[in-house]
Amino acid sequence: MSERAFAVLGLFDSAQALVDAAVRLAPRRLGRLEAYTPYPVHGIDDVLGARRSPLAGMTLVAGALGAVTAMVFEWWTSAVDYPVVTGGKAPFSWQAFVPIMFEVTVLFATFTAGLGMLHLLARLPFFGHPILSSKAMASITRDRFALAVEAEAGGLDVEAAKAALAGAGAREIEVLTVPAERGPFPLRFLSRSALGIAAACVAAGYATYWGVKLIPVLPPMVHMLEQPRLDAQEANAFFPDGHGMRPPVPGTVDREHVPYPFRTQEEAAALVNPLPRTAEVLRLGRKAYENHCAVCHGALVNGVPTLTPAYGAKPANLQSRAIREVADGQIYHVIVRGKNAMPSYAADLTEEERWAIVHYVRVLERAQNAKDEDLR
Amino acid sequence: MSATGASARVPALMTAAGAVGLGATWFAAGAARFWANWLLWFLFLLTIGLGALFLVALEHLADVRWSVPIRRTAERVSGLVVLTAPVALIALLALPVLFPWTWPEAAARPAVAGKAAWLNVPFFTIRVLVCLALWLLSYRILVGGSLRQDRTRDPRFNIRARRFAPAFMAIFALTLTLAAFDWMSSMEPEWYSDIFGVYVFAGSFLAGLAAVSLAVLYLRDRGRLSRVRFDNLYGLGGWLFAFAVFWAYIAFAQYLLQWYGNLPEEVFWYKERIEGDWLGLALVIGVLHFLIPFLVMIPRDAKGKPGSLGRAAVLFLVAHFLDLYWLILPAAGTGPLPSWPEASFALFFGGIALLWLRRAMTIGEDMPVGDPFLAESLEYRL
Repeated sequence: MSERAFAVLGLFDSAQALVDAAVRLAPRRLGRLEAYTPYPVHGIDDVLGARRSPLAGMTLVAGALGAVTAMVFEWWTSAVDYPVVTGGKAPFSWQAFVPIMFEVTVLFATFTAGLGMLHLLARLPFFGHPILSSKAMASITRDRFALAVEAEAGGLDVEAAKAALAGAGAREIEVLTVPAERGPFPLRFLSRSALGIAAACVAAGYATYWGVKLIPVLPPMVHMLEQPRLDAQEANAFFPDGHGMRPPVPGTVDREHVPYPFRTQEEAAALVNPLPRTAEVLRLGRKAYENHCAVCHGALVNGVPTLTPAYGAKPANLQSRAIREVADGQIYHVIVRGKNAMPSYAADLTEEERWAIVHYVRVLERAQNAKDEDLR
Repeated sequence: MSATGASARVPALMTAAGAVGLGATWFAAGAARFWANWLLWFLFLLTIGLGALFLVALEHLADVRWSVPIRRTAERVSGLVVLTAPVALIALLALPVLFPWTWPEAAARPAVAGKAAWLNVPFFTIRVLVCLALWLLSYRILVGGSLRQDRTRDPRFNIRARRFAPAFMAIFALTLTLAAFDWMSSMEPEWYSDIFGVYVFAGSFLAGLAAVSLAVLYLRDRGRLSRVRFDNLYGLGGWLFAFAVFWAYIAFAQYLLQWYGNLPEEVFWYKERIEGDWLGLALVIGVLHFLIPFLVMIPRDAKGKPGSLGRAAVLFLVAHFLDLYWLILPAAGTGPLPSWPEASFALFFGGIALLWLRRAMTIGEDMPVGDPFLAESLEYRL
């Protein structure tokens, strides 16, 4: 197996000797200078000509990216895509976004710093660094200081490096070699590790899913349901009548309640539709009519229903001459009070919706019974 | 000595001019304005002094090396605590003017009446006196002992200080919180925020660090701390950077919770401070106290190079002053724009503080020469 030189190592007795040698070798550019010492030697970075680490800038950019990502994501989800009013706050409430922005900033920044340090700058994964199998390793961890001239892309002039280190006063010199074909980046190991981790995740996921499903030892997460809370329609011993829900206090009036004194359709005939006949009102009327009335009275208010034949009752045909000629107030009255089999819709429709329906019914009646002047 | 004589004349003139302004404020601008400014300056000087004392205690507590050469400067700045003792006693006269719980109509405000057992003049006075006594005692133990060590070179002081430091941390946390609650929160006695003490602590430590940094750079420029280098200064810059973030974190945490809760007894305090012209000041504080220093101090050199450290320190002192201004003045009902009374107080107390610090810079040696760790600390490297 052919080998190539990885580095030439020179051993020195003191940190000062190492620094002096590095100062002498640095301008000669024989290869990448690296120091291996038993403890951190102050000032060695400058002498070795270590480049300013790009890691700080990378981390700053990643952090800023994290802040922007979180901001955009939260803005999109809570103000654009699915705006839900929470706690009475506006959908876009930057205050509520700040903690998430902070966390995502830290997440992006730390991952970039950590992985960037390990992979880009420390060149990991890098198994079996040649220095670990050198003869000098034992003394480097004890009392010797090693200066290494390491191979760069263009290879290494071993003899020149040896001469230079000897000239700088190295006590011992050692040449480190690595197998020529071995790359520093073991792709096969990495891909196998990634596959193994993925397989373990899948296995753990299935195991958890089926474990929880088949072995009901752990109760499911129902803490939100099991609150000491009174649900609607529940009995409760606290009140003398045993009901949990309380009736309104006698004499209670709804908010926005409008008194409606009329008993018969004839009395209500005097009522006048208060809404203008605008496109907006008609749209409201159509919406309310189609939601509440069309199933029985039909989409064309002609009493041809979509649902009620199975039901037995015969809904009124609002296109009939009799109904076309009644006053608006009478239709309104039927909506409020109901008629024959039709129940009251007072609880389902607001005042405005009822009058809008009246307008809408009138429009459909006219559309089906158009006069000559309408066609002009 | 003639040069230093001249440098004393400026602050002395400032004080004299300010004193005239103080009198004018009292008679022309009213007692409320006078006492609001008095409180502002009392708390500004107090928080600087306590922040510096905290730095001294922190060194003993954590057995720190980088700060030993600058510890004497921090000890000198912490002498501001002594200066503020009489200021605090005089500030007690502000109680009937600025603190609604002393007013007769407080009984009609249920939330205030409910706190009467805590908020009453005798108990308040006792708390103030106890806090002052504990601060002066801590100052005596930590700073007095250190000054004695200059002569005796007795290393036992370091052991005593290290034993006292944990106790000081507890005392400091409690008394600073009490001071924040008593002197600031209780101006609006319905309002409460548990984290307010931490908020004031964050600003206090920043202000202390900033003042110590400026004093160190001042002495260094005059060749009196020439052995203090980048590596030592970096410690100060690092703390400033870290606490700019900590301050912002705490300030925002308090705001976020009260904004979210939206309870009338909490939000009115913020409503006063972010409405109208006060909003401008609030934004300025956010920018000066956090945004600019955070961005500017990110690079390594910016934390230890004298020029950039000095600029950051000045910025933090200004921001801390504005922060206190924003905390105190709205409660006194004064508008956000400063006028001649504020200028007079700045002259008066600024002059006194400068005179005091000028004298303090001559106390003892410039470095704690009796400290057995000094030699090692001078060789400190990052």
